Amino acid sequence: MTAAPPASPVLAIENYSLDYTLRHGTARVLDGVNLAIGKGEVVGLVGESGSGKSSLAWAIMRHLPRNAVEASGRLSLGGLDLRGLDAKGLQAVRGKRIGMVFQDPSTALNPTLRLGEQVIEVLMRHRGLGRAEARDAAEAALAEVELRNPTALMRRYPHEASGGEKQRVVIATAFATAPELILFDEPTTALDVITGARILELFARLRERTGVAALYISHDLGLVSRVADRVSVLRQGRIVEEGAPEAVFLDPRHDYTRRLVAAVPRPHRRLVDDAAGGDTVLAANGLSVRYGRRRLFRPPPPPATKAVSLEVRAGEILGVVGESGSGKSSLARGLTGLAEFDGGIHATGRRLDHARQMDKAYRRAVQIVFQHPDSSLNPRMRIGDILARPLKLYGGALSDIPALLEQVRLPADYARKYPHQLSGGEKQRVAIARAFAARPSLVICDEITAALDVSVQAQVVELLLALRRQHGTAYLFITHDLNLIRQIAHRIAVMQQGELVDLRDAAAIDAPDAHPYTRALIAASPAPVG
Amino acid sequence: MSTGWLLRRLFLVAYTVLVVSVLVFAITQVLPADAAVTLLGENATPEALAAVRDRLGLNDPIWLQYWHWLTAALTGDFGHSMRTGQPVAPMMLTALSRSLLLALLSILLMLAVAVPLGLWAALRQGKAADLVTGFISYIGVSLPEFVTATLLLIVLADWLQWLPATGYVPPGEDFWDSMAHLVLPVLTVSVIMVAHVSRMVRSETIDVLHSDYIRAARLKGLAPRSVLLRHVLRNALLPVITIVALDVGYLLGGIIVVEEIFALPGIGRQLIVAITARDLPAIQAGALVMAVTYAVASTLADIAYALLDRRIRYD
Repeated sequence: MTAAPPASPVLAIENYSLDYTLRHGTARVLDGVNLAIGKGEVVGLVGESGSGKSSLAWAIMRHLPRNAVEASGRLSLGGLDLRGLDAKGLQAVRGKRIGMVFQDPSTALNPTLRLGEQVIEVLMRHRGLGRAEARDAAEAALAEVELRNPTALMRRYPHEASGGEKQRVVIATAFATAPELILFDEPTTALDVITGARILELFARLRERTGVAALYISHDLGLVSRVADRVSVLRQGRIVEEGAPEAVFLDPRHDYTRRLVAAVPRPHRRLVDDAAGGDTVLAANGLSVRYGRRRLFRPPPPPATKAVSLEVRAGEILGVVGESGSGKSSLARGLTGLAEFDGGIHATGRRLDHARQMDKAYRRAVQIVFQHPDSSLNPRMRIGDILARPLKLYGGALSDIPALLEQVRLPADYARKYPHQLSGGEKQRVAIARAFAARPSLVICDEITAALDVSVQAQVVELLLALRRQHGTAYLFITHDLNLIRQIAHRIAVMQQGELVDLRDAAAIDAPDAHPYTRALIAASPAPVG
Repeated sequence: MSTGWLLRRLFLVAYTVLVVSVLVFAITQVLPADAAVTLLGENATPEALAAVRDRLGLNDPIWLQYWHWLTAALTGDFGHSMRTGQPVAPMMLTALSRSLLLALLSILLMLAVAVPLGLWAALRQGKAADLVTGFISYIGVSLPEFVTATLLLIVLADWLQWLPATGYVPPGEDFWDSMAHLVLPVLTVSVIMVAHVSRMVRSETIDVLHSDYIRAARLKGLAPRSVLLRHVLRNALLPVITIVALDVGYLLGGIIVVEEIFALPGIGRQLIVAITARDLPAIQAGALVMAVTYAVASTLADIAYALLDRRIRYD
C-alpha cells in the first residue's frame, strides 16, 4: 500500500470542474479535482453532504442532472475518454466496465421485478448470454457474494429479502460483469451495524479475489480509513487532503480534515465524566409494546418489545442500542404513549398502566426527539410557531423563543423561517429546542443523529451534553452507533428482537461477561484507526 | 392474495349490495309515487285502487314488502314494469349489456391512446410536446360530454357524413353497422377519459423515472428500450388500474347524457325513462344492477393490482 498515485490508472480524473446552473447564477460543485485509481486499488472519497462527492460519482457514470455544466477536465477509464462517449458507447461502459453499488438497496432494486431477473438482465446485456446461461451465471454470482440458497432468492421479490440480502444482490450485479472499476456510494449507511460489517468483510474478500479497483464514497472518515488504500478528502468541491488512510487519520494536515477526524466517535474517548446518581426519573416495569388492535378471529401480533424493565435516573444518559427491528424505537413509542403498552411505567411519583393515563405533567416531564426532523417538524409552520406550541401548553411565554433558539445555538431570527429553509442539522436543533421548551426531566432521543453527517452529529451531541450540564436533563439515547454511545452514556441497554438482553455500565460494556450479542455488536463496530 | 381474503372480499361485495338494496328500496318508498295510481291512472275508482294495492301487497308492513322484494330479486325477479308490463330484469340486463359494450370499447380505445400519450409526454417533460398534450388534455377534461358529443356529431356525421348520427343496432344483427353506430358514443366517452388517464400516466411515469431503481437500471447499462418497457411501464401503470375501475362507475352512471344524445338505449337511459315514468320496479332493478357492476369492477381491480404488484398482500 503506497500513498503515491498509480502510473497507469484504471480511472484518471484530471482537473475536473463541474457547475450547476441555478436560478441565480451558477454554483461550482467540483473544482479542479484530480484523482487516480490504479489497478486493484481502493480509493476512499470522504466529505460531508454537499461536498460534491456524489456529483463526482454521477460525473464518472455520466449521469449528471440537466443543469450540470462541465467546466473543465478529463475523465478517462483506462485511456477511454468518458466525456466523449455517445449514448451507445456509454451503455457499453455502464454496468460492464464500471459497476455501481448504491446507498440504499431497498430503493435501488425494482420492487415489481424478481431479484434474479435484475441480475439476469445485466448478464444477458453485457456478457451476451442466452436466458438459460444467464440464469446459471446469475446463480453463481449470487453464490459468490455468499448468499445462502441463491436458487430460492432468485425467485423472490425485493420486499421478500432482508436489507443485507438485497445489498448483496446489488453487489453481485456489480461484480457479475467483471468490471474494471466499481463505485461504492455509502453502501453500508442504510444497513444495520452487524449487516454493514458483514458487507464490508464481503467487500474485502471480493476485492482480493477479483482485484477490482474501487472508489469508495462515504461521509464517515473512520469507516473509509478501514477499507481504502488511499483517502481523498473533499470539501466544497475541492480535494483538500489526500494520502494513506493512517496518515490522513493520525496526522491530518488540513483544518477541515482535523475537524472530520475529531468528529469520528471513538469509544474510549469519554465526553461525559460525571457519574449519574440520584432519584429515578422514570422506570419501566415489564413494558411490552404491541402494535395493531387485537382482532376477533386472529392471534394478536407479537409484541415489539417483550417485558422490558429499566430505569433512568436524574441527569443520567442511558444508551439503548440494537439493530433495526430490535424494539428500540418501540420502547420510545411506549414510553411516550405513542403506542399502547402492557406493564407499568413509574414516573412523576405514580404508576401508569395505560397510555391514556399520561397527563400533562407526564408529557411535560418526558419529551421526545425523532430521527427525521423533516417529518417531525410541520413544513407549513414557522420555527417560531413550532416552538410556541409547547411553550403555550406547558406554561412558557412567547418571549422565551429567542432564548430557546440561542440555547440550541441558532440565531433568533430563525423564528421567522420555515423548516425547509434550514439544513438537516439545524432542523434537528429546532426539534431539540421544542423538546426543551417543556423543561423536561427526561428527553428520549430516537436515533436523532442517524440521518446526519458525522461532523454534524458531533455538534448535535455536544449540544445535548451542554444542555444537560445546564438543566440536569436525563437522556434515553437510542442509537445503532455503539462507538458514539460508549462516549456519552453512563449505562448501556442492549436490545435484540424485542428483548433487553444486556444492561450494564458503559465502562463494562466490553467486559467478558457481556451478552454474546453485545460482543457481536462491539466486534461489528471497530474503533477507527488510531 | 389468500383464499380467505378473496372470500372476505366477496362477502363484502354481497354486503355492499345488500346495503344498497335497502337504500334503493327505502328511497323508492319515499318517492311521491303511488304504484296503484301509476298503474291505473288518475281516474281510477277507490275500490279498484284498493284492490290493486292489496294484490301488490302495498298494505303489508314495509319490512315484509322489502323481504318479498329481496327474495324475489335474488331469484332474478324484480317484478314487472309499470310502464310496459314486461318483466323488469331482462329489460335492465339488455340495457346493461349495451352500456357495458360501450364501456368496454371506450376503455380499450382509451388505454390504447392514453398510455402511449402519457408515456410520451412524460419522456418529454417540460418540452413543447408535453405542454401541448397537457393543454389539449385540459380542454378534453373541461369540456362537458354534450359539447364533445355535439362537435363530433357535427363534424363526423353531418359534414363528412362518415357515420350514422344516432341509434343502436345489436352486434348480432349487423356487426359492422352496429360498430358504425357505436363509434361516436365511444369517441365521446374516450376523449374525456383519455384526457385524465393520460395525465395520470404522465405523472406516475415521471415519478417512476425519478426513482432510484430506474437510475440503477440505467447505470447498469441496460438499453433505454428495456429500461422503459421492463422497469418503468409496469410500475407506472399500476395506479392506472384503480382509475380505470373508478371509471367503470362513471361509465355506467355518468354517461346518461351520451346515451341520450346518441339515442343509445343503455342502462342510464333506461333509468331516466323509469324515473320519469315513476316505474318503481325498473328504478329498483336499475340501481341495484349498477351497484353490483361497480362493486364487481372494483374487486376485479384490486385482484389485478395484487397480481401485478407482489408487495401488496391481502391476507
